[in-house]
Amino acid sequence: MVEFHQLAAAIYLAAGIGGLVGVVLPAPRMNRGAAWGLAIGAAVQTLAFATLHRVDSPPITSLPVVLASSAWMTVVFALLLTSRVRLPGLTAVVGPLAFLCVFVASLGWTTGSGMAIDESVMGTWPHIHVLLASAGLAMFGIAGLAGLFFLLEHRRLKAKPPVAASIPLPSLEALDRVNVVTTAVGFVLLTLGILTGMVWVNETRGAAWMGSTHEAWMVISWAIYAGLVAARYAGRQGARQAAASALAGFAFLVFGVMGVGVMI
Amino acid sequence: MKILLIGMNHRTAPLEVRERYAAGDPGPALRKLVMSDEIEEAVLVSTCNRVDLIVTTRNLEDAVLRVHRFFRTDLIEGDTTAAGPSFDDFTYEYRDRDAVQHVFRVASSLDSMVVGEPQILGQMKEAYRIAIENEVCGPVLSRLFQRAFATAKRVKNETRIAERPVSVARVAVELARQIFEDFGDKSALLLGAGEMIELALFALQREGLREVRVANRTLANAQKLAARYAATPHRLDELESLLPGADVVLCCVGGDQPILGHAMVKQALDARRSRPVFFIDMGVPRNVDPRIQSLDNAFVYDMDDLQSVADANAGERRRESDQGEDIVREEQLHFDTWMAALKAVPTIRHLRARAEEIRSGELQRMAGRLRLDDRQRQGVEALTRGIVNKLLHAPLSHLRNEAETGAGVESLEAARVLFALDDSAAPGAAVDEALRREMERTRLAEASLDSKTPGTAETGGEANALDDDRRAFSTLSDTLNDGLDESLNGTSNASDEMGQEGDDR
Repeated sequence: MVEFHQLAAAIYLAAGIGGLVGVVLPAPRMNRGAAWGLAIGAAVQTLAFATLHRVDSPPITSLPVVLASSAWMTVVFALLLTSRVRLPGLTAVVGPLAFLCVFVASLGWTTGSGMAIDESVMGTWPHIHVLLASAGLAMFGIAGLAGLFFLLEHRRLKAKPPVAASIPLPSLEALDRVNVVTTAVGFVLLTLGILTGMVWVNETRGAAWMGSTHEAWMVISWAIYAGLVAARYAGRQGARQAAASALAGFAFLVFGVMGVGVMI
Repeated sequence: MKILLIGMNHRTAPLEVRERYAAGDPGPALRKLVMSDEIEEAVLVSTCNRVDLIVTTRNLEDAVLRVHRFFRTDLIEGDTTAAGPSFDDFTYEYRDRDAVQHVFRVASSLDSMVVGEPQILGQMKEAYRIAIENEVCGPVLSRLFQRAFATAKRVKNETRIAERPVSVARVAVELARQIFEDFGDKSALLLGAGEMIELALFALQREGLREVRVANRTLANAQKLAARYAATPHRLDELESLLPGADVVLCCVGGDQPILGHAMVKQALDARRSRPVFFIDMGVPRNVDPRIQSLDNAFVYDMDDLQSVADANAGERRRESDQGEDIVREEQLHFDTWMAALKAVPTIRHLRARAEEIRSGELQRMAGRLRLDDRQRQGVEALTRGIVNKLLHAPLSHLRNEAETGAGVESLEAARVLFALDDSAAPGAAVDEALRREMERTRLAEASLDSKTPGTAETGGEANALDDDRRAFSTLSDTLNDGLDESLNGTSNASDEMGQEGDDR
C-alpha cells in the first residue's frame, strides 16, 4: 500500500524537522519526540511491507522496494544506536533522508501494477538478498553520516582560534565508535547480500556470475569496504581517515546500487 | 500593599562590606523586623554576591527607615559602631514594580556576576524557605517568589542563557566532552602540581575520570596533590612512559621550552593506536609545542584558546540575556496585574455586602406589610436581588478592570466616597463589623497556613516544604481572587437568574 509509505515519509519528515529544532534550540524533549516520531514512521512502514505481496506492487528487487527498505532499516538502526550512545543530531539527518528515500520510492511504487509477476523474484533467495543488501546499505549510510559529523566536529575542534560549538554534535569518540561498528556490521551484511545474490542468480540463470555492471560495481564496493575494515582493524587508519573513508565509501556504494542501475 | 527592596550586590559593594551583612541565620532578625508596625512580610536573600531584603508595607517611607535600621542593628548585632563607609553608599533601593523586576532578574540570574549561573535560584529558594519557616512571608511575597521561580524556569527553558560555560575550567571540561563520550575509562595526566592544575582537575574529576596521575619536578608536591585526588604521584622524568596512557593531559610547569615536543607526542599517539589525546596547556610560556595541533587525534588548547571560547560563550549569554529581560518584563506585568486586582477585592466585597444588607433589610421591613406567601416572597427576593446585581455589575466590573490596568486607585476611592463605604452611619453599615470579622478570619487562616509549612519542611525536606507552601499560598491567592470573581460573577449570575425567573413569570 503506497499510502502507508507516503504516510511514513510524512512522519519521517516531521520527525526530522522536530529533531533539527531539538538540536538547534536545543530541546531534549523535542529530540525524544523526534525519536518517537521515527519509531512511529518505521512502524507504519512495517505495515506497508506486510502488504508487499498482497496488492499490486513492484518486484522485491526493484529500486523503489530497495530504497524503501533501506530507509526503513536506516531508521531502525539509527534508533537502536541512539538508545545506546549519545548522538544528538542523528534524528535531524536520518529523518529527512528517510523521507526522501521513501517518498521517491513511493513515486515509483506502482510500476509493477498490471505487469505479469516475475516468478524469479518471488523465491526466498531474492528476499534474503534484498533484506541483507538493504541492511548493509543502511549500515554504511549511518557510517557515512557518522563520518560526516566526525569531520565537521574534528575541523571545529582543530580550528585556531577555537570556535565555540553553535550546534551540539555527538562527541568524536561516539561518532568513531558508531563508524567502527556500522562499517564492520555493514561489511558482513554486504558480503552475505552479495553471496545470497549469487546463489539466487545461479538458481534462476544457471551461473553465479553474469558479469553485469551491477554485479561488477558491487564487487568493487565490497573490495573497498574490505580494505577499509582491514585497515581499521590493523590499526593503520586513524579515526579521521576512517570517517572520510566511510563517507566516500558510502557515496561510491550509493552510485553502485542506484546510480548504475539508472544511468548505465 | 507596597513592595520595597533594599540591598547591595557585587556591583555596588565590595566583598568586605557584603560579608558584614551576610547573615548565617537571619530568622530571628526577620521575625523581629516583621513584628514592627512598618513591615508586614520580609524575605532576605543573602549570598556571597548580594544581600537583598524584600518587604511589604503599607507605608513606604516608614519602611525604608525601618529596613535601614534592620541592616544597621538587627542584622549585624553588636557591630553597630563598626567603622567604615556609610551603609547608604553601597545600597540600592527599588520600590513596587522595580522591586518585582529586580527579584525576577535576580532569580533568573540576569543580575548575577556570571550571567546564567544556576546557583542563585537555589539560594533564593533557600531564602524563601527560611522566611516561610520563620513565618515572615505572607501571600504577597509568597506570590512574588513563586512567580520569580517560574520566571527563572522560563528564562532557562526559553533562552540559551545557561548553556555555554564561561569559566576556563568548565570550558576545558566541555571541550573534553566533545572529544570523549565517557570519562569512566579515561585517564588524566597532570604535569605540574599548582593551583591552576588543581582547579582544572577538580572540574574534570567531577565527570568521573578513571585514573589520575600527577607528575612534577618536585615529587613531594606531586604526592601532596595526588593524595587529595586519589591519584598516583610520579617524577616528571617519567613523562615519556606516562604519555601513551593519558587521554587528557593538563600541564602547567615552568620552563622556557615546551615540555611536550612534537616527536614525543607523535610517538605516544602511535602507541595509542591513534586514540585521541586532549592537551590543556596552562603554562606561560606554553608547555606544549604548538605544532602538535597538526597531528591527527591531538587536540591542543592553551589558555588563550580556552579564554577565547569562554569570552565567546559569555558574549552569547549576554545576547541571550536580552531575551531573558523580555520574559522578566512580561512576568512583571502579570504580577502587577495581580497586585492591582488585589487592591480592588476589599472594596468590591464591601460594596456588595452593603448592597445586600440594604436589600435584605428593606425586604424584611416590607415583608410584614405586603403579606406575601412563600412563592411571592421568593419572586420578590429574586426581583430585588436582580435589581441590585444589575445596578452593581457595571461599577464592579469597572473597578476590577481599572484595578487590573493599574489605574484603579482613583476609581476605588471614588467608589468608597460615592457609596459612603467609610461612613459608619450610612445605610447598610451594620454589615461592616461582620465583614471586618470575616477578613480577620481570612488573615488568621493565612497565618495558620504559614505556620503549618515549617513542620512539613522538617519532615518532608525542602522540596516538599516548598510544594506545600506553594499549595497553601495558591489556595490563599485563589481565595483572594475568588473574592473578586465571586463578587462579579454573583452579579451576572443573579442577573441571569432574575431574567430567567422574569421570563417564567
